[in-house]
Amino acid sequence: MTIDGLNASRVLQPASVEELAQLLKEEKGSVSPVGAQTQLHFGNPLRSLDCAIDVTRLNRITEYVPGDLTIHAQAGVTLGELERALEANNQFLPLDPWNGPGATIGGIAATNAQGSLRPTGTIRDWIIGMHVVEVNGNASKTGGRVVKNVTGYDLAKLYTGSIGTLAIITEISLKVRSGYGRTATAVTRLPDFASAANLVSLIRTGPLQPVSCEWIGPENEVWLRFGEHPRAVDWQLKNLPGADWKILEGTEEAEGWASVRSGYQKLGPIVVKVIGLPATIADIVAESRSRAWIAHVMNGIVLSGVSSIEDVRRLRRTHRVIIERASLEDRRQVSTFGLEPAEHELMLRMKRTFDPEGRLNPGRHVDGE
Amino acid sequence: MQTEIIQQLTQIAGSASSVVCDETELLVYECDALTLFRNKPDVVVFAANTRQVAEIVKLANTHRIPYVPRGSGTGLSGGAMAIQGGIVIELQRMNRILSVDVENRIAVVQPGVVNLHISQAVAPYGLYYAPDPSSQSACSIGGNVAENAGGPHCLKYGMTANHILAVEAVLPSGEIVRLGNPAGETIGMDLLGSIVGSEGTFAIVTEITIRLLPRPQAVKTLIAAFHSVDDCSQTVSDVIAAGIVPAALEFVDDKTIRAVEASVYRAGYPLGAVAVALIEVDGFREGLEETADQIVEICRRNNAYEVRVAKDDDERAKLWMGRKGAFGAMGRISPDMLVMDAVIPRTKLPQVLAQIDRISQRYGLPVANVFHAGDGNLHPLILFDSRRADQVDRIFEMGEEILKVCVGVGGSLSGEHGIGCEKKEYMGMVFSDADMETMLRVRAVFNPGGLLNPDKIFPSRRSCTEIGKQTTTSTEEIGKRVDAVLRGAH
Repeated sequence: MTIDGLNASRVLQPASVEELAQLLKEEKGSVSPVGAQTQLHFGNPLRSLDCAIDVTRLNRITEYVPGDLTIHAQAGVTLGELERALEANNQFLPLDPWNGPGATIGGIAATNAQGSLRPTGTIRDWIIGMHVVEVNGNASKTGGRVVKNVTGYDLAKLYTGSIGTLAIITEISLKVRSGYGRTATAVTRLPDFASAANLVSLIRTGPLQPVSCEWIGPENEVWLRFGEHPRAVDWQLKNLPGADWKILEGTEEAEGWASVRSGYQKLGPIVVKVIGLPATIADIVAESRSRAWIAHVMNGIVLSGVSSIEDVRRLRRTHRVIIERASLEDRRQVSTFGLEPAEHELMLRMKRTFDPEGRLNPGRHVDGE
Repeated sequence: MQTEIIQQLTQIAGSASSVVCDETELLVYECDALTLFRNKPDVVVFAANTRQVAEIVKLANTHRIPYVPRGSGTGLSGGAMAIQGGIVIELQRMNRILSVDVENRIAVVQPGVVNLHISQAVAPYGLYYAPDPSSQSACSIGGNVAENAGGPHCLKYGMTANHILAVEAVLPSGEIVRLGNPAGETIGMDLLGSIVGSEGTFAIVTEITIRLLPRPQAVKTLIAAFHSVDDCSQTVSDVIAAGIVPAALEFVDDKTIRAVEASVYRAGYPLGAVAVALIEVDGFREGLEETADQIVEICRRNNAYEVRVAKDDDERAKLWMGRKGAFGAMGRISPDMLVMDAVIPRTKLPQVLAQIDRISQRYGLPVANVFHAGDGNLHPLILFDSRRADQVDRIFEMGEEILKVCVGVGGSLSGEHGIGCEKKEYMGMVFSDADMETMLRVRAVFNPGGLLNPDKIFPSRRSCTEIGKQTTTSTEEIGKRVDAVLRGAH
């Protein structure tokens, strides 16, 4: 296995959490946890790799209680497997990360992977508990198994998005939601940038509440997904602001969003996530000199394909920017998160408290900033 | 407390009126709304701005004095109680809404702003702040952040943590930091998310950027009365199983109904009912009527003998008044009570309620149940008489037994009130030593000296419950607080 040009001398596939803990107790070198390997390019360049730990054999859904709207799964379970289990009870996880249903739930959490579907936040908002094993082999848990809980510190928030640099996630408890009464997607293509900017502004400030709202460029397409009571979906479709909308449902709808996802894969050569505000999206797109982009209109976030690291540096003068995807060469020159000094200091202390020797995914997160 | 320190605090706060050190006046600050646990701070200082908070923290560090942040003091787990004495940093005067950005649906507020005041201030723009703890007309947003406050509507809209986008905070080092961003997008590990709900032990939040939501087009509120707890519980399960996502789904039992109906919070709950479900759905006008009809049908199928849909806003407000005033109304049926907070998987409701009933009978102390059924967040109220020492001795033991039942079915110790001082000795029921050791290491990253809000959340040798046994709260006292809260709402 090769990550960032480094070859792992050992690849271990523990079949149980106990086995994982045991092998970590014995391991003295650098360790990188991996799942479905869909996000290995994310983060600052890995500094060393002695042992890769593949968690895909931790692949059990340990409990699913439809009546409680909770599901508990080991880190190696894929999103697709979770979706299939939930579908049987008309339930789902409102997540559709760009890396697709083949990604593991552990990997999605570790990288805070996201997609178009964001009716209520991101994966952090659906996690209710987590089990982890630290680099020294110590196992611990945070949160619980119920949908509402304030018992103890919510360390799952720290593990989510830390790219496996604090501890290795072994099991995640999630709350899920009931399926939408109906979903439908409305798509339109505008003639130019200005009219698309105007349309998304109308949508953003109007009465519609799409669960996805994407402005895709340079084609200037606007994609709206609605999920609600059938009559509420109808009402929203009837109240779309004036444009020539095409309505997608069923298979056509699913295929449509799969094409958006493959559109994301084609962004580049450097993909950045620029964090702004809903009202500043058009400005961000203009400023970023995007080759192509997908903007989460309701959230003020633009995923932009830019040409060079100079563009990243320029954008960072005015915005918080995360590098979603870039070549190893580029990631060596510009940090993934662009942390502020105060955050950097706190995160570094956090990293050291979990991993004093810096053996877990060294360089990937704060220690590579 | 040394005069020198009082003088320095006065200097920082700018006037003697911002510093309280009179023994009698300090009594106000000896507890929060969990009045069972009391300890007086040595001094209370009202901070006017972030810089002052930072200076007070630095002063406390220099002299190794413990300090505790405090807002409105409505917390129910003793989170704002100065267990080791020291300095209480009172944030109530930092109560300005600094900005409202209507277009981007965000507001920036100071920690002392009262939760409900935010929704009132942004109502003209068709917006509101979703988390609505029952104390929302008195509790401060800073306290909400500390405790990750809930409320009936977090069933659909999520807890405080889901609505906090960014904060400015004073770290225990005295350093002022900004975490998060107005888009609420996490950048790397989520420090902000870990501070929310840390019960004021990681940092003191001095400015908060919150998400505002557009008001739903329409709301439907109804109550259904049942002759059996099981029928009411089954209704809760069936509503969820039908794929409906209610805005709120509350359970009110017969004792609570009697108390509420005999009080000023009279809501018209059917007096003969063994249990009442209060259900609310909101969203687009289109389809809402059908959803409400579907719920009515589910209630009837589960033998509801009376179902009433609120006809207008007044009737709706009245139904909620009964629910939100329930704790305060308990004085009508009992001189004292212990408010509990625990969570169970919602499918275990009938089983756990039956077990609580058996425990109640065994101890000879009644329990009233009024709670957030939709998310399994129980609030058993143990009713007792503090003049009877034998009863006081039993309530904690009984409470512990109830918690064990909840944890035993896969539940947790607290859904929204926090662990604070009240439940720290029970943490071992849900967390192993290794779990707690990890949490304490994370606390040490933020709060290495441990002076910020010490002795909270985690078990200690000197038990909090021992302090608690010395004094109890009267329902009259709680009633007065609730009265004040509800009066504030109108």
